[in-house]
Amino acid sequence: MTATLTRPGTETNGAPATARRRRRNRIRPGTILVASLLAFGTIVPFLAVFILALSPEGARTIPFQLPDEWTFDNLIAVLTARNFLRWTLNTTIYSIVSVVLVLITAAMAGYAFAKKRFPGREIMFWSFLATLMVPTQATIIPLFVLVARLEGIDTFWGLIVPTLANSQAVFLMRQFIMGLPDELFEAAKIDGAREWSIFWRIVLPLTTPILATLGIFVFLWHWNDFLWPLIIAQTDEMRTLTVGLASLNQEAVSQARLMAAAAITVIPCLVVFAVLQRYIVNSVAASGIKG
Amino acid sequence: MTSTTPVSALGRQKRRGSTTAARSGMWAGILFVLPMLVLFVIFRFVPSLGAIGMSLTDYKLSGDYSVVWFDNYTRMLADDVFLGALTTTLVYAAIYVPLVVVVSMVTALVLNRLVWGTGFFRGALFLPYVTSFVLAAVIWLWIFASDGLVNGLLTEAGVDPYPFLTGNQAQVLTSLAVVSAWRGFGYSMLILLAGLKNIPEDLLESATLDGANATQRFFRIVLPLLRPVVFFVLVIETIAAFQVFDTIYVMTGGGPSRASYSLVYALYDQGFKFFDFGYAAAIGVAIFLLVFVISLIQRRFLDRSNT
Repeated sequence: MTATLTRPGTETNGAPATARRRRRNRIRPGTILVASLLAFGTIVPFLAVFILALSPEGARTIPFQLPDEWTFDNLIAVLTARNFLRWTLNTTIYSIVSVVLVLITAAMAGYAFAKKRFPGREIMFWSFLATLMVPTQATIIPLFVLVARLEGIDTFWGLIVPTLANSQAVFLMRQFIMGLPDELFEAAKIDGAREWSIFWRIVLPLTTPILATLGIFVFLWHWNDFLWPLIIAQTDEMRTLTVGLASLNQEAVSQARLMAAAAITVIPCLVVFAVLQRYIVNSVAASGIKG
Repeated sequence: MTSTTPVSALGRQKRRGSTTAARSGMWAGILFVLPMLVLFVIFRFVPSLGAIGMSLTDYKLSGDYSVVWFDNYTRMLADDVFLGALTTTLVYAAIYVPLVVVVSMVTALVLNRLVWGTGFFRGALFLPYVTSFVLAAVIWLWIFASDGLVNGLLTEAGVDPYPFLTGNQAQVLTSLAVVSAWRGFGYSMLILLAGLKNIPEDLLESATLDGANATQRFFRIVLPLLRPVVFFVLVIETIAAFQVFDTIYVMTGGGPSRASYSLVYALYDQGFKFFDFGYAAAIGVAIFLLVFVISLIQRRFLDRSNT
Protein backbone atom coordinates (compact mmCIF):
# COMPACT_ATOMS: atom_id res chain seq x y z
CA MET A 1 0.00 0.00 0.00
CA THR A 2 2.80 2.39 -0.74
CA ALA A 3 2.26 5.30 -2.98
CA THR A 4 5.23 6.66 -4.77
CA LEU A 5 4.65 10.34 -4.59
CA THR A 6 7.97 11.81 -5.57
CA ARG A 7 8.01 14.21 -8.42
CA PRO A 8 10.72 16.67 -9.46
CA GLY A 9 10.80 19.57 -7.02
CA THR A 10 10.60 23.25 -7.61
CA GLU A 11 13.50 25.06 -9.15
CA THR A 12 14.02 28.59 -8.00
CA ASN A 13 15.04 31.13 -10.56
CA GLY A 14 16.42 34.61 -10.03
CA ALA A 15 14.38 37.78 -10.18
CA PRO A 16 10.80 37.05 -9.01
CA ALA A 17 12.08 34.92 -6.14
CA THR A 18 11.96 37.66 -3.50
CA ALA A 19 8.48 38.74 -4.51
CA ARG A 20 7.38 35.15 -4.40
CA ARG A 21 8.94 34.63 -1.02
CA ARG A 22 7.10 37.65 0.29
CA ARG A 23 3.85 36.27 -1.05
CA ARG A 24 4.55 32.87 0.38
CA ASN A 25 5.41 34.15 3.83
CA ARG A 26 2.33 36.32 4.04
CA ILE A 27 0.22 35.02 6.90
CA ARG A 28 -3.17 34.23 5.48
CA PRO A 29 -5.78 34.98 8.16
CA GLY A 30 -8.62 33.50 6.10
CA THR A 31 -6.84 30.16 5.76
CA ILE A 32 -6.01 30.13 9.45
CA LEU A 33 -9.66 30.78 10.27
CA VAL A 34 -10.84 27.90 8.07
CA ALA A 35 -8.15 25.62 9.49
CA SER A 36 -9.22 26.58 13.02
CA LEU A 37 -12.84 25.72 12.27
CA LEU A 38 -11.81 22.33 10.87
CA ALA A 39 -9.52 21.64 13.83
CA PHE A 40 -12.39 22.63 16.12
CA GLY A 41 -14.37 19.81 14.54
CA THR A 42 -11.70 17.22 15.26
CA ILE A 43 -10.62 18.37 18.72
CA VAL A 44 -13.88 19.37 20.40
CA PRO A 45 -15.41 15.86 20.36
CA PHE A 46 -12.39 14.65 22.35
CA LEU A 47 -12.70 17.55 24.78
CA ALA A 48 -16.37 16.68 25.14
CA VAL A 49 -15.46 13.12 26.13
CA PHE A 50 -13.24 14.39 28.94
CA ILE A 51 -15.68 17.06 30.08
CA LEU A 52 -18.57 14.59 30.19
CA ALA A 53 -16.36 12.03 31.96
CA LEU A 54 -15.56 14.58 34.66
CA SER A 55 -19.14 15.83 35.03
CA PRO A 56 -21.41 14.43 37.77
CA GLU A 57 -23.78 11.70 36.63
CA GLY A 58 -27.02 13.10 35.29
CA ALA A 59 -25.58 16.61 34.95
CA ARG A 60 -27.21 18.70 32.26
CA THR A 61 -25.00 18.26 29.22
CA ILE A 62 -27.34 19.50 26.48
CA PRO A 63 -26.81 22.11 25.18
CA PHE A 64 -23.14 21.57 25.74
CA GLN A 65 -21.93 23.39 28.82
CA LEU A 66 -19.34 23.02 31.52
CA PRO A 67 -20.58 21.33 34.69
CA ASP A 68 -20.97 23.31 37.91
CA GLU A 69 -18.63 20.93 39.68
CA TRP A 70 -16.00 18.45 38.53
CA THR A 71 -15.79 14.90 39.78
CA PHE A 72 -13.59 11.84 39.43
CA ASP A 73 -16.45 9.56 40.55
CA ASN A 74 -17.17 8.28 37.04
CA LEU A 75 -13.56 7.44 36.34
CA ILE A 76 -13.20 5.66 39.69
CA ALA A 77 -16.50 3.83 39.21
CA VAL A 78 -15.49 2.62 35.77
CA LEU A 79 -12.02 1.56 36.84
CA THR A 80 -13.29 -0.43 39.80
CA ALA A 81 -16.32 -1.91 38.07
CA ARG A 82 -16.23 -5.44 36.74
CA ASN A 83 -13.28 -6.24 34.52
CA PHE A 84 -12.30 -2.81 33.29
CA LEU A 85 -8.74 -2.99 34.63
CA ARG A 86 -8.47 -6.46 33.19
CA TRP A 87 -9.58 -5.16 29.79
CA THR A 88 -6.91 -2.47 30.02
CA LEU A 89 -4.31 -5.11 30.85
CA ASN A 90 -5.51 -7.33 27.98
CA THR A 91 -5.32 -4.48 25.50
CA THR A 92 -1.84 -3.56 26.74
CA ILE A 93 -0.64 -7.14 26.37
CA TYR A 94 -2.31 -7.50 22.97
CA SER A 95 -0.68 -4.29 21.71
CA ILE A 96 2.80 -4.49 23.26
CA VAL A 97 3.44 -8.20 22.64
CA SER A 98 2.20 -7.85 19.06
CA VAL A 99 4.49 -4.88 18.45
CA VAL A 100 7.57 -6.73 19.74
CA LEU A 101 6.83 -9.93 17.83
CA VAL A 102 5.87 -8.19 14.57
CA LEU A 103 9.02 -6.06 14.69
CA ILE A 104 11.33 -9.03 15.28
CA THR A 105 9.76 -11.41 12.76
CA ALA A 106 9.28 -8.69 10.13
CA ALA A 107 12.86 -7.44 10.56
CA MET A 108 14.17 -11.00 10.19
CA ALA A 109 12.06 -11.64 7.09
CA GLY A 110 12.87 -8.21 5.65
CA TYR A 111 16.59 -8.83 6.15
CA ALA A 112 16.35 -12.22 4.45
CA PHE A 113 14.34 -10.84 1.52
CA ALA A 114 16.68 -7.86 1.12
CA LYS A 115 20.13 -9.35 1.61
CA LYS A 116 19.99 -13.15 1.41
CA ARG A 117 19.54 -15.36 -1.57
CA PHE A 118 17.56 -18.54 -1.18
CA PRO A 119 15.28 -20.61 -3.40
CA GLY A 120 11.71 -19.33 -3.65
CA ARG A 121 12.59 -15.90 -2.33
CA GLU A 122 10.77 -13.85 -4.94
CA ILE A 123 7.61 -15.95 -5.09
CA MET A 124 7.49 -16.00 -1.30
CA PHE A 125 7.80 -12.23 -1.05
CA TRP A 126 5.18 -11.54 -3.68
CA SER A 127 2.74 -14.04 -2.21
CA PHE A 128 3.15 -12.26 1.14
CA LEU A 129 2.30 -9.00 -0.59
CA ALA A 130 -0.64 -10.57 -2.42
CA THR A 131 -2.40 -11.11 0.92
CA LEU A 132 -2.84 -7.32 1.07
CA MET A 133 -5.52 -7.80 -1.59
CA VAL A 134 -7.56 -10.04 0.68
CA PRO A 135 -9.61 -8.10 3.23
CA THR A 136 -9.24 -9.58 6.72
CA GLN A 137 -13.02 -10.00 6.97
CA ALA A 138 -13.03 -12.29 3.94
CA THR A 139 -10.99 -14.93 5.75
CA ILE A 140 -12.11 -14.29 9.30
CA ILE A 141 -14.49 -17.28 9.44
CA PRO A 142 -11.91 -19.97 8.50
CA LEU A 143 -9.34 -18.16 10.66
CA PHE A 144 -11.71 -18.32 13.62
CA VAL A 145 -12.44 -22.01 13.01
CA LEU A 146 -8.70 -22.69 12.74
CA VAL A 147 -7.92 -20.89 15.99
CA ALA A 148 -10.87 -22.65 17.65
CA ARG A 149 -9.54 -26.06 16.50
CA LEU A 150 -6.14 -25.15 17.96
CA GLU A 151 -7.95 -24.23 21.20
CA GLY A 152 -6.96 -20.59 20.93
CA ILE A 153 -10.34 -19.06 21.77
CA ASP A 154 -10.16 -16.91 24.92
CA THR A 155 -6.37 -17.15 25.02
CA PHE A 156 -3.72 -14.52 24.48
CA TRP A 157 -1.92 -16.51 21.83
CA GLY A 158 -5.18 -16.97 19.92
CA LEU A 159 -5.66 -13.23 20.07
CA ILE A 160 -2.10 -12.22 19.20
CA VAL A 161 -0.43 -14.80 16.95
CA PRO A 162 -2.84 -14.71 13.96
CA THR A 163 -2.39 -10.92 13.73
CA LEU A 164 1.39 -11.15 13.35
CA ALA A 165 1.42 -12.13 9.66
CA ASN A 166 1.76 -8.50 8.60
CA SER A 167 2.72 -8.02 4.96
CA GLN A 168 2.99 -4.26 5.25
CA ALA A 169 5.62 -4.66 7.98
CA VAL A 170 7.63 -7.17 5.91
CA PHE A 171 7.43 -4.92 2.88
CA LEU A 172 8.61 -1.78 4.70
CA MET A 173 11.45 -3.65 6.44
CA ARG A 174 12.64 -5.14 3.15
CA GLN A 175 12.57 -1.77 1.38
CA PHE A 176 14.49 -0.14 4.19
CA ILE A 177 17.15 -2.86 4.50
CA MET A 178 17.66 -2.96 0.72
CA GLY A 179 18.83 0.63 1.03
CA LEU A 180 21.61 -0.31 3.46
CA PRO A 181 25.01 -1.04 1.85
CA ASP A 182 25.97 -4.73 1.58
CA GLU A 183 29.48 -3.93 2.82
CA LEU A 184 28.16 -3.40 6.34
CA PHE A 185 27.00 -7.00 6.61
CA GLU A 186 29.97 -8.46 4.75
CA ALA A 187 32.50 -6.66 6.91
CA ALA A 188 30.86 -8.14 9.97
CA LYS A 189 30.93 -11.57 8.40
CA ILE A 190 34.66 -11.25 7.68
CA ASP A 191 35.14 -10.32 11.31
CA GLY A 192 33.65 -13.69 12.09
CA ALA A 193 30.28 -12.57 13.40
CA ARG A 194 27.57 -15.21 13.25
CA GLU A 195 24.38 -14.46 11.30
CA TRP A 196 22.34 -14.14 14.45
CA SER A 197 24.66 -11.60 15.99
CA ILE A 198 24.82 -9.68 12.70
CA PHE A 199 21.05 -9.45 12.93
CA TRP A 200 21.03 -8.22 16.54
CA ARG A 201 24.13 -6.03 16.39
CA ILE A 202 23.84 -4.56 12.91
CA VAL A 203 20.42 -5.03 11.32
CA LEU A 204 18.26 -4.04 14.27
CA PRO A 205 20.27 -0.93 15.30
CA LEU A 206 20.47 0.31 11.70
CA THR A 207 16.74 -0.11 11.15
CA THR A 208 15.70 1.83 14.26
CA PRO A 209 13.89 4.59 12.30
CA ILE A 210 11.66 2.20 10.38
CA LEU A 211 11.21 -0.03 13.46
CA ALA A 212 9.95 2.98 15.40
CA THR A 213 7.51 3.96 12.67
CA LEU A 214 6.21 0.42 12.32
CA GLY A 215 6.05 -0.01 16.08
CA ILE A 216 3.82 3.04 16.52
CA PHE A 217 1.44 1.97 13.79
CA VAL A 218 1.27 -1.66 14.90
CA PHE A 219 0.59 -0.43 18.43
CA LEU A 220 -2.24 1.89 17.36
CA TRP A 221 -3.65 -0.73 15.04
CA HIS A 222 -3.87 -3.32 17.84
CA TRP A 223 -5.04 -0.86 20.48
CA ASN A 224 -7.92 0.18 18.23
CA ASP A 225 -8.67 -3.25 16.74
CA PHE A 226 -12.23 -4.45 17.18
CA LEU A 227 -13.61 -7.34 15.08
CA TRP A 228 -10.86 -9.87 15.85
CA PRO A 229 -10.89 -9.36 19.65
CA LEU A 230 -14.69 -9.32 19.49
CA ILE A 231 -14.87 -12.86 18.16
CA ILE A 232 -11.81 -14.31 19.92
CA ALA A 233 -12.68 -13.02 23.41
CA GLN A 234 -15.82 -14.92 24.35
CA THR A 235 -15.61 -14.35 28.09
CA ASP A 236 -15.77 -10.99 29.78
CA GLU A 237 -12.25 -11.36 31.23
CA MET A 238 -10.61 -11.73 27.83
CA ARG A 239 -12.15 -8.63 26.27
CA THR A 240 -10.09 -5.71 25.07
CA LEU A 241 -11.01 -2.09 25.73
CA THR A 242 -12.71 -1.52 22.37
CA VAL A 243 -14.87 -4.61 22.85
CA GLY A 244 -15.50 -3.68 26.48
CA LEU A 245 -16.48 -0.15 25.53
CA ALA A 246 -18.91 -1.49 22.93
CA SER A 247 -20.43 -3.82 25.54
CA LEU A 248 -20.78 -1.02 28.10
CA ASN A 249 -22.56 0.97 25.42
CA GLN A 250 -25.01 -1.88 24.88
CA GLU A 251 -25.63 -2.23 28.61
CA ALA A 252 -26.94 1.33 28.74
CA VAL A 253 -24.67 2.57 31.52
CA SER A 254 -25.05 6.27 32.18
CA GLN A 255 -23.62 8.74 29.69
CA ALA A 256 -21.07 9.95 32.23
CA ARG A 257 -19.81 6.41 32.95
CA LEU A 258 -19.62 5.56 29.25
CA MET A 259 -17.62 8.70 28.53
CA ALA A 260 -15.34 7.95 31.49
CA ALA A 261 -14.63 4.54 29.95
CA ALA A 262 -14.12 6.14 26.55
CA ALA A 263 -11.70 8.65 28.06
CA ILE A 264 -9.57 5.91 29.62
CA THR A 265 -9.52 3.95 26.34
CA VAL A 266 -8.32 6.90 24.32
CA ILE A 267 -5.70 8.32 26.70
CA PRO A 268 -2.84 6.02 25.52
CA CYS A 269 -3.53 6.92 21.88
CA LEU A 270 -3.57 10.61 22.71
CA VAL A 271 -0.33 10.33 24.70
CA VAL A 272 1.41 8.40 21.91
CA PHE A 273 0.16 10.94 19.41
CA ALA A 274 1.06 13.98 21.49
CA VAL A 275 4.63 12.77 21.92
CA LEU A 276 5.21 11.40 18.42
CA GLN A 277 2.84 13.55 16.36
CA ARG A 278 5.32 15.03 13.90
CA TYR A 279 6.94 11.65 13.46
CA ILE A 280 3.66 9.79 12.81
CA VAL A 281 2.41 12.40 10.36
CA ASN A 282 5.70 12.45 8.45
CA SER A 283 5.92 8.70 8.12
CA VAL A 284 2.46 8.49 6.53
CA ALA A 285 3.59 10.93 3.87
CA ALA A 286 6.97 9.24 3.41
CA SER A 287 6.05 5.57 3.38
CA GLY A 288 2.29 5.45 2.88
CA ILE A 289 2.01 3.29 6.00
CA LYS A 290 -1.62 2.74 6.93
CA GLY A 291 -2.64 2.18 10.52
CA MET B 1 32.30 -12.75 -2.38
CA THR B 2 29.98 -14.61 -4.70
CA SER B 3 26.98 -13.44 -2.72
CA THR B 4 27.13 -10.09 -4.49
CA THR B 5 26.66 -11.53 -7.99
CA PRO B 6 23.21 -10.72 -9.26
CA VAL B 7 20.73 -13.55 -9.66
CA SER B 8 19.49 -14.18 -13.15
CA ALA B 9 17.91 -17.06 -14.96
CA LEU B 10 21.38 -17.98 -16.14
CA GLY B 11 22.94 -17.49 -12.76
CA ARG B 12 22.31 -21.07 -11.73
CA GLN B 13 25.63 -22.38 -12.95
CA LYS B 14 27.43 -19.78 -10.94
CA ARG B 15 25.52 -20.75 -7.86
CA ARG B 16 26.33 -24.41 -8.25
CA GLY B 17 29.96 -23.51 -7.77
CA SER B 18 29.25 -21.23 -4.87
CA THR B 19 31.37 -21.05 -1.78
CA THR B 20 30.33 -22.36 1.57
CA ALA B 21 29.85 -18.77 2.70
CA ALA B 22 27.14 -18.22 0.11
CA ARG B 23 25.51 -21.52 0.97
CA SER B 24 25.47 -20.67 4.65
CA GLY B 25 23.98 -17.32 3.59
CA MET B 26 21.22 -19.26 1.87
CA TRP B 27 20.47 -21.25 4.98
CA ALA B 28 20.55 -18.11 7.10
CA GLY B 29 18.08 -16.53 4.68
CA ILE B 30 15.71 -19.47 5.01
CA LEU B 31 15.99 -19.49 8.78
CA PHE B 32 15.40 -15.74 9.02
CA VAL B 33 12.31 -15.84 6.85
CA LEU B 34 10.98 -19.00 8.49
CA PRO B 35 9.02 -17.50 11.44
CA MET B 36 7.15 -15.07 9.18
CA LEU B 37 6.66 -17.79 6.56
CA VAL B 38 5.09 -20.11 9.12
CA LEU B 39 2.80 -17.29 10.32
CA PHE B 40 1.74 -16.48 6.76
CA VAL B 41 1.14 -20.08 5.77
CA ILE B 42 -0.95 -20.89 8.85
CA PHE B 43 -2.80 -17.62 9.36
CA ARG B 44 -3.06 -16.17 5.83
CA PHE B 45 -2.69 -18.80 3.11
CA VAL B 46 -4.55 -21.64 4.83
CA PRO B 47 -7.53 -19.44 5.80
CA SER B 48 -7.64 -17.94 2.28
CA LEU B 49 -7.93 -21.37 0.71
CA GLY B 50 -10.06 -22.44 3.67
CA ALA B 51 -12.55 -19.67 2.93
CA ILE B 52 -13.11 -21.05 -0.55
CA GLY B 53 -13.23 -24.64 0.66
CA MET B 54 -15.53 -23.85 3.56
CA SER B 55 -17.88 -21.85 1.34
CA LEU B 56 -18.56 -25.07 -0.58
CA THR B 57 -19.72 -26.87 2.59
CA ASP B 58 -22.37 -26.49 5.25
CA TYR B 59 -19.69 -26.28 7.98
CA LYS B 60 -21.31 -26.08 11.41
CA LEU B 61 -20.06 -25.00 14.83
CA SER B 62 -19.55 -28.64 15.82
CA GLY B 63 -17.11 -29.15 12.95
CA ASP B 64 -19.48 -31.47 11.08
CA TYR B 65 -19.90 -30.70 7.43
CA SER B 66 -20.83 -32.10 4.10
CA VAL B 67 -19.90 -30.72 0.72
CA VAL B 68 -22.79 -28.80 -0.80
CA TRP B 69 -20.83 -27.29 -3.75
CA PHE B 70 -22.39 -24.02 -4.84
CA ASP B 71 -25.50 -24.17 -2.66
CA ASN B 72 -24.28 -21.33 -0.45
CA TYR B 73 -23.76 -19.12 -3.49
CA THR B 74 -27.14 -19.90 -5.06
CA ARG B 75 -28.72 -19.34 -1.65
CA MET B 76 -26.96 -15.98 -1.46
CA LEU B 77 -28.40 -14.83 -4.77
CA ALA B 78 -31.91 -15.61 -3.53
CA ASP B 79 -31.38 -14.34 0.02
CA ASP B 80 -33.13 -11.01 0.54
CA VAL B 81 -31.07 -10.35 3.66
CA PHE B 82 -27.81 -10.78 1.75
CA LEU B 83 -29.01 -8.82 -1.27
CA GLY B 84 -30.24 -6.10 1.07
CA ALA B 85 -26.84 -6.02 2.76
CA LEU B 86 -25.18 -5.75 -0.66
CA THR B 87 -27.40 -2.80 -1.64
CA THR B 88 -26.87 -1.18 1.75
CA THR B 89 -23.10 -1.49 1.39
CA LEU B 90 -23.16 -0.05 -2.14
CA VAL B 91 -25.33 2.87 -1.00
CA TYR B 92 -23.03 3.41 1.98
CA ALA B 93 -19.97 3.40 -0.30
CA ALA B 94 -21.70 5.84 -2.65
CA ILE B 95 -22.16 8.23 0.29
CA TYR B 96 -18.92 7.60 2.17
CA VAL B 97 -16.36 7.65 -0.65
CA PRO B 98 -17.23 11.08 -2.14
CA LEU B 99 -17.65 12.49 1.37
CA VAL B 100 -14.28 11.33 2.66
CA VAL B 101 -12.44 12.24 -0.55
CA VAL B 102 -13.89 15.76 -0.57
CA VAL B 103 -13.17 16.25 3.14
CA SER B 104 -9.58 15.04 2.79
CA MET B 105 -9.06 17.15 -0.34
CA VAL B 106 -10.43 20.31 1.30
CA THR B 107 -8.38 19.80 4.46
CA ALA B 108 -5.26 19.01 2.41
CA LEU B 109 -5.75 22.18 0.35
CA VAL B 110 -6.22 24.24 3.51
CA LEU B 111 -3.09 22.73 5.10
CA ASN B 112 -1.14 23.34 1.91
CA ARG B 113 -2.08 27.04 1.94
CA LEU B 114 -1.10 27.48 5.58
CA VAL B 115 2.16 29.26 6.22
CA TRP B 116 1.78 29.52 9.97
CA GLY B 117 0.87 26.81 12.50
CA THR B 118 1.20 24.05 9.89
CA GLY B 119 2.44 21.45 12.37
CA PHE B 120 -0.32 22.14 14.85
CA PHE B 121 -3.17 22.07 12.34
CA ARG B 122 -1.84 18.99 10.58
CA GLY B 123 -1.67 17.17 13.90
CA ALA B 124 -5.08 18.41 15.05
CA LEU B 125 -6.77 17.28 11.84
CA PHE B 126 -5.04 13.90 11.89
CA LEU B 127 -5.96 13.31 15.54
CA PRO B 128 -9.15 11.21 15.02
CA TYR B 129 -7.19 8.76 12.88
CA VAL B 130 -5.15 7.50 15.84
CA THR B 131 -8.28 6.54 17.79
CA SER B 132 -10.66 3.62 17.30
CA PHE B 133 -13.86 3.48 15.29
CA VAL B 134 -15.54 2.25 18.47
CA LEU B 135 -14.53 5.43 20.29
CA ALA B 136 -15.65 7.60 17.37
CA ALA B 137 -18.97 5.75 17.38
CA VAL B 138 -19.46 6.31 21.13
CA ILE B 139 -18.73 10.04 20.78
CA TRP B 140 -21.02 10.47 17.77
CA LEU B 141 -23.82 8.51 19.43
CA TRP B 142 -23.88 11.32 21.98
CA ILE B 143 -23.78 13.95 19.23
CA PHE B 144 -26.51 12.25 17.17
CA ALA B 145 -28.85 10.96 19.93
CA SER B 146 -32.46 12.13 19.94
CA ASP B 147 -31.62 14.01 23.15
CA GLY B 148 -27.99 14.49 22.11
CA LEU B 149 -25.84 17.48 21.28
CA VAL B 150 -27.20 18.45 17.87
CA ASN B 151 -30.82 17.65 18.58
CA GLY B 152 -30.55 19.37 21.96
CA LEU B 153 -29.45 22.52 20.19
CA LEU B 154 -32.15 22.10 17.53
CA THR B 155 -34.84 21.71 20.20
CA GLU B 156 -33.47 24.77 21.97
CA ALA B 157 -33.82 26.66 18.70
CA GLY B 158 -37.36 25.38 18.28
CA VAL B 159 -36.54 23.06 15.35
CA ASP B 160 -37.76 19.44 15.20
CA PRO B 161 -35.08 16.87 16.08
CA TYR B 162 -33.37 15.22 13.12
CA PRO B 163 -33.50 11.37 12.99
CA PHE B 164 -29.76 10.81 12.49
CA LEU B 165 -29.80 7.14 13.43
CA THR B 166 -33.51 6.37 13.41
CA GLY B 167 -34.63 7.77 10.08
CA ASN B 168 -34.70 6.24 6.63
CA GLN B 169 -31.79 4.38 5.08
CA ALA B 170 -30.24 7.43 3.40
CA GLN B 171 -30.30 9.37 6.67
CA VAL B 172 -28.83 6.57 8.78
CA LEU B 173 -26.14 5.65 6.26
CA THR B 174 -25.18 9.31 5.89
CA SER B 175 -24.81 9.63 9.66
CA LEU B 176 -22.62 6.51 9.74
CA ALA B 177 -20.57 7.76 6.79
CA VAL B 178 -19.99 11.04 8.62
CA VAL B 179 -18.64 9.15 11.64
CA SER B 180 -16.32 6.95 9.54
CA ALA B 181 -15.16 9.93 7.51
CA TRP B 182 -14.47 11.93 10.68
CA ARG B 183 -12.39 9.08 12.06
CA GLY B 184 -10.72 8.15 8.79
CA PHE B 185 -10.06 11.20 6.60
CA GLY B 186 -6.68 11.99 8.20
CA TYR B 187 -4.82 9.32 6.26
CA SER B 188 -6.11 10.36 2.83
CA MET B 189 -5.57 13.99 3.81
CA LEU B 190 -1.86 13.37 4.42
CA ILE B 191 -1.48 11.37 1.20
CA LEU B 192 -3.15 14.16 -0.81
CA LEU B 193 -1.11 16.79 1.02
CA ALA B 194 2.11 15.00 0.06
CA GLY B 195 0.86 15.05 -3.54
CA LEU B 196 0.04 18.77 -3.38
CA LYS B 197 3.51 19.55 -2.04
CA ASN B 198 4.97 17.98 -5.17
CA ILE B 199 3.17 20.33 -7.54
CA PRO B 200 5.70 22.92 -8.71
CA GLU B 201 4.67 26.32 -7.40
CA ASP B 202 5.98 28.03 -10.54
CA LEU B 203 3.26 26.31 -12.52
CA LEU B 204 0.54 27.74 -10.31
CA GLU B 205 2.11 31.17 -10.31
CA SER B 206 2.43 31.41 -14.05
CA ALA B 207 -1.21 30.34 -14.28
CA THR B 208 -2.10 33.14 -11.87
CA LEU B 209 -0.16 35.61 -14.01
CA ASP B 210 -2.10 34.35 -17.02
CA GLY B 211 -5.26 35.32 -15.19
CA ALA B 212 -6.47 31.90 -13.94
CA ASN B 213 -8.53 32.16 -10.76
CA ALA B 214 -8.33 29.71 -7.83
CA THR B 215 -11.09 27.45 -9.17
CA GLN B 216 -9.52 27.25 -12.60
CA ARG B 217 -6.10 26.57 -11.09
CA PHE B 218 -7.56 23.74 -9.03
CA PHE B 219 -9.48 22.02 -11.83
CA ARG B 220 -7.06 22.71 -14.68
CA ILE B 221 -3.70 22.24 -12.98
CA VAL B 222 -3.85 20.79 -9.46
CA LEU B 223 -6.42 18.05 -10.06
CA PRO B 224 -4.90 16.67 -13.30
CA LEU B 225 -1.44 16.55 -11.71
CA LEU B 226 -2.85 14.97 -8.58
CA ARG B 227 -4.88 12.36 -10.45
CA PRO B 228 -2.76 9.29 -9.53
CA VAL B 229 -2.84 10.25 -5.85
CA VAL B 230 -6.59 10.93 -5.96
CA PHE B 231 -7.19 7.52 -7.49
CA PHE B 232 -5.02 5.83 -4.89
CA VAL B 233 -7.15 7.52 -2.23
CA LEU B 234 -10.35 6.51 -4.07
CA VAL B 235 -9.27 2.87 -4.14
CA ILE B 236 -8.32 2.60 -0.48
CA GLU B 237 -11.42 4.48 0.68
CA THR B 238 -13.70 2.31 -1.45
CA ILE B 239 -12.12 -0.78 0.09
CA ALA B 240 -12.64 0.78 3.53
CA ALA B 241 -16.30 1.45 2.69
CA PHE B 242 -16.86 -2.22 1.84
CA GLN B 243 -15.37 -3.26 5.17
CA VAL B 244 -17.55 -1.03 7.36
CA PHE B 245 -18.50 -2.80 10.56
CA ASP B 246 -17.31 -1.28 13.87
CA THR B 247 -19.38 1.92 13.69
CA ILE B 248 -22.50 0.01 12.64
CA TYR B 249 -22.05 -2.55 15.41
CA VAL B 250 -21.85 0.17 18.05
CA MET B 251 -24.26 2.78 16.69
CA THR B 252 -27.18 0.98 15.06
CA GLY B 253 -26.67 -2.79 15.31
CA GLY B 254 -27.58 -2.92 11.62
CA GLY B 255 -30.90 -1.15 12.20
CA PRO B 256 -33.36 0.41 12.19
CA SER B 257 -34.99 -2.58 10.48
CA ARG B 258 -31.79 -3.49 8.58
CA ALA B 259 -31.34 0.03 7.15
CA SER B 260 -27.62 -0.17 7.99
CA TYR B 261 -27.11 -3.92 7.70
CA SER B 262 -23.80 -4.10 5.78
CA LEU B 263 -22.07 -7.09 4.15
CA VAL B 264 -19.55 -7.53 6.96
CA TYR B 265 -22.39 -7.26 9.45
CA ALA B 266 -24.22 -10.02 7.55
CA LEU B 267 -21.05 -12.14 7.64
CA TYR B 268 -20.69 -11.54 11.38
CA ASP B 269 -24.34 -12.45 12.01
CA GLN B 270 -24.22 -15.63 9.93
CA GLY B 271 -20.96 -16.70 11.53
CA PHE B 272 -21.30 -15.70 15.15
CA LYS B 273 -25.02 -15.47 15.75
CA PHE B 274 -26.35 -18.33 13.60
CA PHE B 275 -23.03 -20.26 13.47
CA ASP B 276 -23.64 -21.02 9.82
CA PHE B 277 -19.93 -20.98 8.99
CA GLY B 278 -20.29 -22.34 5.45
CA TYR B 279 -22.65 -19.57 4.44
CA ALA B 280 -20.65 -16.92 6.32
CA ALA B 281 -17.47 -18.06 4.53
CA ALA B 282 -19.28 -17.72 1.21
CA ILE B 283 -20.23 -14.13 2.13
CA GLY B 284 -16.55 -13.54 2.92
CA VAL B 285 -15.56 -14.79 -0.53
CA ALA B 286 -18.22 -12.51 -2.04
CA ILE B 287 -16.76 -9.52 -0.15
CA PHE B 288 -13.30 -10.38 -1.45
CA LEU B 289 -14.55 -10.67 -5.04
CA LEU B 290 -16.42 -7.37 -4.80
CA VAL B 291 -13.43 -5.49 -3.42
CA PHE B 292 -11.16 -7.15 -5.97
CA VAL B 293 -13.37 -6.33 -8.96
CA ILE B 294 -13.92 -2.76 -7.84
CA SER B 295 -10.22 -2.11 -7.34
CA LEU B 296 -9.51 -3.65 -10.77
CA ILE B 297 -12.08 -1.35 -12.38
CA GLN B 298 -10.63 1.64 -10.59
CA ARG B 299 -7.09 0.66 -11.57
CA ARG B 300 -8.09 0.28 -15.20
CA PHE B 301 -9.75 3.68 -15.05
CA LEU B 302 -6.62 5.11 -13.42
CA ASP B 303 -4.35 3.71 -16.14
CA ARG B 304 -6.49 5.12 -18.90
CA SER B 305 -6.76 8.56 -17.39
CA ASN B 306 -3.03 8.54 -16.79
CA THR B 307 -2.15 8.39 -20.48
